[in-house]
Amino acid sequence: MNNTKSIYYPPGGILIWIIIYLELITFGMAILAFAYYGSEERELFHNSSLKLKKTIGTINTILLLTSGFFVAKGIHFFKASNIKKTLSYFNWAMVGGFVFLVLKSIEYYEKLEAGLHMDYNSFFRFYWLLTGFHFIHVIVGLVILIIITFSIRKKQTEASFEDIEASASFWHMCDLIWLLLFPVLYLLF
Amino acid sequence: MKDTITSSFILLLTLTLLAAFAASNVSPEIIVTTVVALAFIKFWLVAFQFMELKKAHPFWKYLIIGFGGLMGLILVILL
Repeated sequence: MNNTKSIYYPPGGILIWIIIYLELITFGMAILAFAYYGSEERELFHNSSLKLKKTIGTINTILLLTSGFFVAKGIHFFKASNIKKTLSYFNWAMVGGFVFLVLKSIEYYEKLEAGLHMDYNSFFRFYWLLTGFHFIHVIVGLVILIIITFSIRKKQTEASFEDIEASASFWHMCDLIWLLLFPVLYLLF
Repeated sequence: MKDTITSSFILLLTLTLLAAFAASNVSPEIIVTTVVALAFIKFWLVAFQFMELKKAHPFWKYLIIGFGGLMGLILVILL
């Protein structure tokens, strides 16, 4: 195991952290652009924000945080060489991620049924782009978790601790992005 | 050893519910600052406790705090 106190070895490895920062900067700039347009068209953004259900946004936040918690616990037990508990926590994490996607899909369906598509106004253009890209990240994170869980189950030696930690970091990155998106889209206007 | 992952998780859930409550009940003058501050704490908890940045080199810690802080500051100024 590498020394994580070294600048070259953050938990999960330097490459995943370069990806994480690039993703955060990309989403961050889009969120700031959203806030800027929101400050220019306050009434429109306020009325549009009211069309989103805070309850669904809050439940989705709880789902992602719970899923992130399970991944963190899974990593904790992997370090303790408790593979059974690691797999159990990773499975629950995937369930959390899957339920998030289902709930988000229901929300998307409702918005489309109500005619709140991307061309409806600038608020919903940002809404679809920001949450859509995040949705894709959650799918990718879920696929990575499935692959890494299979790898642990089959006791494949090529899945090193750093690979597993990097996969977990990618999943947590989805949490981080959502923690920025949720208040800006659902709460602040 | 204290279970910091579980205590962080409970704190994260509490802060999420608090933010949702604050968005509907706090006076408009302080709503942005309150919600952004709560989001920043949650961001920090996930990065430091779940992603274990607390064990990383200070460079990575300052970078994530700097990013979160800058985002929060710009949001408060803009909104």
